[in-house]
Amino acid sequence: MKSKSIEDIIALSNDLRWQIGDDFHDNLAEGIYADAAEIVSTTVKTKDADRKFRLDARIDKILTSKLWGFPLMFLILALVLWVTIVGANYPSAMLSSLLLDTVHPALKGFASNIGLPWWLDGFLIDGVYLAVAWVVAVMLPPMAIFFPLFTLLEDFGYLPRVAFNLDHLFKLSGAHGKQALTMSMGFGCNAAGVVATRIIDSPRERLIAIITNNFSLCNGRWPTQILIATIFIGAIVSPSMAGIASLSAVIGIAVLGIFFMFLVSWALSKTVLKGEVSTFNLELPPYRPPRFWKTIYTSLIDRTIIVLWRAIVFAAPAGAVIWLISNIYLGDESIASWMIHSLDGFGFLLGLNGVILVAYIVAIPANEIVIPTILMLTVLVSGIPGGEGAGVMFELDSVNATGQILRSGGWTLLTAVNLMLFSLLHNPCSTTIYTIYKETKSLKWTTVATVLPIVMGFVVTFLVAQIWRLYA
Amino acid sequence: MDTKPKSACDTCVHFNAEGLKKLGVNTTNFDFVVALAGNPNTGKSTVFNAITGLRQHTGNWPGKTVTRAEGAFEYNKKKFKMVDLPGTYSLLSTSEDEEVARNFLLFGKPSVTVIVVDASRLERNLNLVLQILEITDRAVLCLNLMDEADRNGIEIDTRSLARELGIPVVASSARFNKGIPELIQTISDLANGKVSCKPHRIKNIPKKIEKAVEKLSDEIKKEYPNLPNSRWIAFRLLEGDRHIMEVLRTGEFV
Amino acid sequence: MSTYNPINALLLFFAILIMAFFVFRPSKGWLWLILNSTKTNDKIVVEDILKLLYHNENADKHLNTNDIVRTIKNNERLIIENINKMVLHELITVEGDVVKLTKSGSDYALRIVRAHRLWEKFLAEKTGFKEAEWHALAEQKEHELSAAETEQLASRLGNPQFDPHGDPIPTQTGKIAKIKGTPISELEVNTIGRIIHIKDKPDVIYRQILAENIHIGSLIRIVEKTPERIVFHSEGEAFVLAPIVAGNITVTVLEKDMTFEDDLARLSNLKEGETAKIIGISKEIRGDSRRRLLDLGFVKGADVRIDLINPLGEPKAFLIKGTSIALRNNQASKILIKKE
Repeated sequence: MKSKSIEDIIALSNDLRWQIGDDFHDNLAEGIYADAAEIVSTTVKTKDADRKFRLDARIDKILTSKLWGFPLMFLILALVLWVTIVGANYPSAMLSSLLLDTVHPALKGFASNIGLPWWLDGFLIDGVYLAVAWVVAVMLPPMAIFFPLFTLLEDFGYLPRVAFNLDHLFKLSGAHGKQALTMSMGFGCNAAGVVATRIIDSPRERLIAIITNNFSLCNGRWPTQILIATIFIGAIVSPSMAGIASLSAVIGIAVLGIFFMFLVSWALSKTVLKGEVSTFNLELPPYRPPRFWKTIYTSLIDRTIIVLWRAIVFAAPAGAVIWLISNIYLGDESIASWMIHSLDGFGFLLGLNGVILVAYIVAIPANEIVIPTILMLTVLVSGIPGGEGAGVMFELDSVNATGQILRSGGWTLLTAVNLMLFSLLHNPCSTTIYTIYKETKSLKWTTVATVLPIVMGFVVTFLVAQIWRLYA
Repeated sequence: MDTKPKSACDTCVHFNAEGLKKLGVNTTNFDFVVALAGNPNTGKSTVFNAITGLRQHTGNWPGKTVTRAEGAFEYNKKKFKMVDLPGTYSLLSTSEDEEVARNFLLFGKPSVTVIVVDASRLERNLNLVLQILEITDRAVLCLNLMDEADRNGIEIDTRSLARELGIPVVASSARFNKGIPELIQTISDLANGKVSCKPHRIKNIPKKIEKAVEKLSDEIKKEYPNLPNSRWIAFRLLEGDRHIMEVLRTGEFV
Repeated sequence: MSTYNPINALLLFFAILIMAFFVFRPSKGWLWLILNSTKTNDKIVVEDILKLLYHNENADKHLNTNDIVRTIKNNERLIIENINKMVLHELITVEGDVVKLTKSGSDYALRIVRAHRLWEKFLAEKTGFKEAEWHALAEQKEHELSAAETEQLASRLGNPQFDPHGDPIPTQTGKIAKIKGTPISELEVNTIGRIIHIKDKPDVIYRQILAENIHIGSLIRIVEKTPERIVFHSEGEAFVLAPIVAGNITVTVLEKDMTFEDDLARLSNLKEGETAKIIGISKEIRGDSRRRLLDLGFVKGADVRIDLINPLGEPKAFLIKGTSIALRNNQASKILIKKE
């Protein structure tokens, strides 16, 4: 009985909608604002209307001016990155000396004291613990610096102005100005960058920002870039120029990443994402002095700890896998060395080698452990002296010693260049992949975001390798 | 129903500071549900944090809270669950965050809705306020960022604003914890039925549409006589909102 | 790898690339052709014939078999076969040379038209495809939508009355609203009207109209009419069209005492320091973009002025109802204002 009258109501609403035509929404919105204007006219008094927003306007005029807008912006962003990378060195060194050089041997000693079987000891302490410790030591300090700085800029209200300044460039590639921010956030951590795309309210541009975030070199990859550049690029110029040469190489890679970000954004907006809805608008909120300590506290809790925790959750099993493949033998070869040998051919085509590819496969969870894994595997398969044993990741304090191990593993300048390229262009880490899936709720776009960069990485390193060999 | 609601100033005197306990995320066994709505960038999350003692990040950036956050507080031995809805400009569109906010106000049946507005941008914020007042009849307007409004030389007559809107109005600066006790007191009064509202209804609608809305709303009232927001349902039906049609069919919101 | 050398590797790589291009390129790629050849089945031919007959019968034209074969681009044998099948299923009758729709044939045709127009409405409201692409996409989709899907689509769109070209969408029961209007080419000078329909065929003329940025719902006033050209004002701009083009645009004539604002401008033309009142948002902005602009306060009567200009000229931030909102030029150019 009731359901019939409900159907009647719905039918009536359909009829009425036909009668009043297409303008209903416009009329309603206008009506509400007209009411609002009436209410405000009787209740709000503005004295001295000129003073309104004067300070804001003055700041805005400078921050978006033709002369100062861009230089100021690059200066501020460069400063944030510089403080992050340089400032993270000391706490990182302290953490790794604590977690890797003190706690790890202590745990080993404790395990042998209570007579833990060697395989359990290796699996848990050399595998799981070491991977987690590594991720914490490398990842925590830069994030603990980067995120609060970024959050302070955000709370002040500067970030929307960056989006406003850069929108023109992003529009050319079919993207949203706010992507400038999610991209910058990606320099800290891609997973956080992907979450940050929520501020983009246009569906198409948001997908573009999510898929291309991986082209921002995240802080798990900066150390790799810097180390490899120092060893190999710095070595080809005179010692006085080494520092500058390797720094420019790293910056070059980051800029290349930005270039790929624009290129892929453009290609996506012209092809697969053509039919997605695109709306643009950007509110420029008033400036507000951030409350320093509160901001630092919340950004540590909200962003740093959450991202770190997720990385740990993914890194622990990766450590276990790394230890297992190095210690489980098929015939007289460990799984790791078998994988390395079967991938050597493909690796050679890309100007890389089997060790690097295996390291990237097992290190999907966290880019931070790529270098330690490469070192361990290189020692494992080449039989050169050094290292801590099968499945035990390590790093060396001396850059020279690291270089020696890599060179005796067959590395050349080409390997180094292509490793840097591949570190930029490969699938996102598993934390990011998981985040992309959570944000898009779409298997299709997660797959695209995962596969696209690695295919690009294969193509780019392949081409570089062939051309290099033609001329070398 | 009272035709003249008490204005905010009548309620602010008897705030009982000892009766307040911030419960953080412990949201079990509550007596009342309080919804927190508002435009992006009005300090909504700051109000939320000030009341619940939580420390949600509040960015100076429109559209920060996308999922809804929950917290709780206890006042005069009653437990209140507080739900921080995504900040939206409106409830009329189809975007995800608006749907979350709209559905919670309609179907979550909050005992009280706190609408946080930026005092220095009242007109723009009233767009959302007037829409919410079509949905719920127990709401309080939290006139936040009063410090900024003062700085910009904006004066607001809260008494006549409360009269126009038909709901209590509380002026606050949540960043400095000003006005929060009064807000809690008002929430409690509304929840306990000590203050009642006669919310403003949208007036400036073309005749043709007003007629259609009235006709539809009358039919809905015949079916669901106790529905406070038949006019809003009529608006949604005229927009062709499929979700509302579905809910009408199942009748699950009554 | 003993046979490896970089040149071979590169050659192999480019060979694979070229192969992939031929296989996967859209609309001419082999993969696409293979997929499509299985799709070109009888259903599409039948439905295309029905639609063709329906549109022609509406214009009181009757076609013979030859006309059908000529108009529908498909295998001739397939068409003849299907015409025979359709006669058997009583969708059409063939009287002498002339092919006519039966009642059930014309009902079927209406359902296809409904699916087509609903899909165009969907593309306009819910996707980012351009106007020029709608028709072709709907031509495909109309064959794929089942009756149930069509109804779902209709209710999702709020049972719209007209498609984005202004064509009426037949109801589920086959009712179809009539368009009462006059082509622009037949209006006298100084007539004021509102555009209610733009023909999307022939394609050449339709694209020309789109390129001029003429849209349904706009108010126009005829300024000049000669056999060579028709000039009218709309949304603050003057349009010059050839009569043959103007004939494809239909308007309803409005009351004489209606005020027509000739001094309209577009928000994109507002200069720094000027203030203006918003008159409205062009009908060209639809769906979510339109709602969002309205929500942000770009409503009739609102005061607006420029707050900030991007160092590169675009976007511009507008101060509206106390807040600074940045819009790109392609949006600002669709918001009508009156300068003060």
